[in-house]
Amino acid sequence: MALMPKRIKFRKSQRGRIRGVAGRGNTVAFGEFGLQSLDAGWLTARQIEAGRVAATHFLHREGRVYIRVFPHKPVSSKPLETRMGKGKGEPEYYVACIKPGTMLYEIGGVEEDVAKRALSRVSHKMPFKCRFVVRRHGV
Amino acid sequence: MELAQLTAESRKAAGSRAAARLRKEGKLPGIVYGHKEEPQAVALSLHALELALQHGAHLLELNLDGVTQQVLIKEVQYDHLGTTPVHVDLARVSLDERVNVKVSVELRGTAKGIKEGGILDLTLADIEVQCAVASIPETLRVDVSELGIGQSLHVRDLKLPDGVEAMDAPELVVCTVRMPITAEAVEAAEEGEGTAAPEVIGRKEKEEAAEE
Repeated sequence: MALMPKRIKFRKSQRGRIRGVAGRGNTVAFGEFGLQSLDAGWLTARQIEAGRVAATHFLHREGRVYIRVFPHKPVSSKPLETRMGKGKGEPEYYVACIKPGTMLYEIGGVEEDVAKRALSRVSHKMPFKCRFVVRRHGV
Repeated sequence: MELAQLTAESRKAAGSRAAARLRKEGKLPGIVYGHKEEPQAVALSLHALELALQHGAHLLELNLDGVTQQVLIKEVQYDHLGTTPVHVDLARVSLDERVNVKVSVELRGTAKGIKEGGILDLTLADIEVQCAVASIPETLRVDVSELGIGQSLHVRDLKLPDGVEAMDAPELVVCTVRMPITAEAVEAAEEGEGTAAPEVIGRKEKEEAAEE
């Protein structure tokens, strides 16, 4: 099931711009290995779900998959064959705004080579370049 | 105990542009403070510090403008990708001093529960300990071979080396062995998630007010 907010303050939002790099949410915090984005972009709820399914399917329910991003931003669109005007379209789906460096997924409880192969499959579902990272210990 | 030796020079130019210029030259801006002396902005070799960090060093022997002093790596700031250090905090210490440091946990052995089909979850990868500067452990080795399914290892259960004291709460869970998540549990969790449109905060009140 695709992720979406339970309660929102405004049904529709403007498109906005993704500026800068990830200053937070850019370290492996829960698992031992992570998938880090190298580009900026929108990650739709469907893509997040596709990544989760790819990882859990590969891991055969071993280990643990953490999703580090959430689609907060509603994206609206106009129905097909509609004339322009008559106001903004209805929200169609939700996206997460991703900055370079954002940790997208994390995996714990499995060996490094298994995590690497699982996250490689996930990276194929992502709309931007990603890389595999290992948790940094100590300072 | 052999310490990693680094040479640093004091720097006068402060600010982000001066720091960026330093980084271009392969140097790393940092600061040395502690022992009730004036904080001193320094520049040191990035490569040398990275080597020391790779070897798990906590303590360094810093040659600052010809004067040698022992310093503890307090914090290393990384860039947005977490690959290149951009700044380092060094604290002056003496070897008999006790300090608080974070030490990583290294799990040893195969848990009993894993042989029965369980999964080992490491929840606390780094533990804050207090110890003498000269005896900071590289890692804390934790034997998990006795852990069965559903059993956890807490901070209070850790066997720490002499003179090392855990500063984290004793009831914190370090690792636990749990059963794998079943397909039924995943389905049940998914059924709970609705597909309906999100509730708009404060909308009802406004609508009611409009009707009035």
